[in-house]
Amino acid sequence: MEGQVATFLASALLVLGLGTLLSRRNLIWKLLGLNVASGGAALFLVALGHRPQARPPILGWGPGPAADPLPQALVLTAIVIHFATLALSLVYVIFLTEHRHTQDVPKLEREEGG
Amino acid sequence: MSYALAGVMGYFLAGAGGLLWPRAQRWLSALALLGGLGALLAWAPHFPPTPVGGGSWGITLAGDQLALGFWALTLLFHGMALGEEWRRSGPFLALMTLLLGTCLALPLSQDLFNLFVCLELTSLLSFLLVGYESKPAAIWASLKYLILTTVGMILYLVGVGLVYGELGTLSLAELRGGTWQWNGSLAVGVGLLAAGAATKGGVFLFAFWLPPAHGRAPHTISALLSGLVVKMGLITLVRLAAVFPLSGVLVGLGVVTGVGGLIYALWERDLKLFLAYHTMSQLGYMLLGFGAGALLGGTAYALAHGLFKALLFVAAGKAIAAGGSRRIDELSGRLSLSTSLALGLGTAAIVGLPPLAGFAAKGILGGSLPGWGKWTLFGLGVGTAASFAKLIPLLVPGPPGRAWRGEWPLALGLLAAGGWGLSHVPSLLSPVAWGQALGVVALGGGFYLGLRRFHPPLPRWTLDRACLAILMGGLAISLGLLFA
Repeated sequence: MEGQVATFLASALLVLGLGTLLSRRNLIWKLLGLNVASGGAALFLVALGHRPQARPPILGWGPGPAADPLPQALVLTAIVIHFATLALSLVYVIFLTEHRHTQDVPKLEREEGG
Repeated sequence: MSYALAGVMGYFLAGAGGLLWPRAQRWLSALALLGGLGALLAWAPHFPPTPVGGGSWGITLAGDQLALGFWALTLLFHGMALGEEWRRSGPFLALMTLLLGTCLALPLSQDLFNLFVCLELTSLLSFLLVGYESKPAAIWASLKYLILTTVGMILYLVGVGLVYGELGTLSLAELRGGTWQWNGSLAVGVGLLAAGAATKGGVFLFAFWLPPAHGRAPHTISALLSGLVVKMGLITLVRLAAVFPLSGVLVGLGVVTGVGGLIYALWERDLKLFLAYHTMSQLGYMLLGFGAGALLGGTAYALAHGLFKALLFVAAGKAIAAGGSRRIDELSGRLSLSTSLALGLGTAAIVGLPPLAGFAAKGILGGSLPGWGKWTLFGLGVGTAASFAKLIPLLVPGPPGRAWRGEWPLALGLLAAGGWGLSHVPSLLSPVAWGQALGVVALGGGFYLGLRRFHPPLPRWTLDRACLAILMGGLAISLGLLFA
């Protein structure tokens, strides 16, 4: 049950994030959308590791089934990478704002060419 | 295999050390190159095609023909780039060392998540290097690269989830040996994996980040990205195709990217953007080869393309610096003899004139393709020759410039010597093969004369359209696999 809720939430985040990415003109909004979508992908992986009534996969957390630790390890790596990417892209947005005085994507595209 | 891992670790340590201690970075980088060469010599003679490591950790590595070829190419590029950029200040060389180390690690990887991490690492380091000179156009190109590849990697991650949910393992080697059922959600997952890899691998419709990023980067970086890094996505596709029934998808993507990149290249006037569109088009040859199961032919073409495209990009960088313009028609008569010669040799190699490496690789690739594949190669070859006919005016050197310096003499030598050696493969030594190659070039030249007056309005790929193209492409591949 919880697994299904998480999967549903993950899909909703993916759609929301990618929709924002496609529909907004402003770079900051686009990056926010992208980040929400990658959060959705991460949540989707975590939801996969779910077992009914599972505990967190930590040694010494008592008996009973533990959630699959592998997806969680993957997600940890993915989150770090997404964080680095977002930080770098925001630095680039600051640079473009300073030099071109705009965060509007169509405008930037006209100025810099395809 | 532990030698190979030690070589990769050497690169990462040298890169990290160079970031911490910038004054030592060039020597650390050179040391990493030596270590890499030693590692290659140690593992190559008895490389294990069977995976090692792994088990419950899910990390599997294996060395094979493909890994061997790409190690050789990476080390060669490292040597040439070090020579070219020895005096560059800032953390440039350290970042480059890290990038090259990732390119050594990826061909060894045999599991979905290691491939993901390596792909993301190449992207992150490429973003930094494309925007290294802090020019707004390059920063914008880099940001576009970043956004589009992140979209692709999100698809890839969801695909990893679907495949892991169905099969319970990430190791491709384990899947190749085991038995498992092909079903709907697996098809969708594999389709998304392929779409993510295609986005990184510069496939037309998926990778509209490629022309601006490769066109605006510093010229050594353009050469590295086009010759080596973009093929990391290709390797991922090959690894996927070794397990899942993707050969049809690979051939389809190959034709799309071969023709699509070519159409844009035919009418492009900016020298570096022109070469970048050609990278897209040339990737089609390799995808065709890999899709048709010609692993050796595809690898040979990937290596040859790495050599001549690197030479072309470096020569183009020098031409733009000397001529003060990026437009092909404004550059003629402004280049020094050595730059003209390098451009000319690169052009001769890419259109497949014997006895250069391009001719030999095309011959090896064509020899292992079925009939329709040969015709596709023929069509693409004519188109390539037609679009490169634009560069002919640049081959007339202008006033004598500085003396011969750089121009990646190593690449030049290898193009000629390696191609000469490979051309002695019996099937390639025949006058028929040489005549065919010359015929393709002549036909292409004729096409150029016909097409010169004609300027079709090609659609521009803005960021939104490019994002949408990736999503639609992923959907199309998934649906195709689902109903195949």
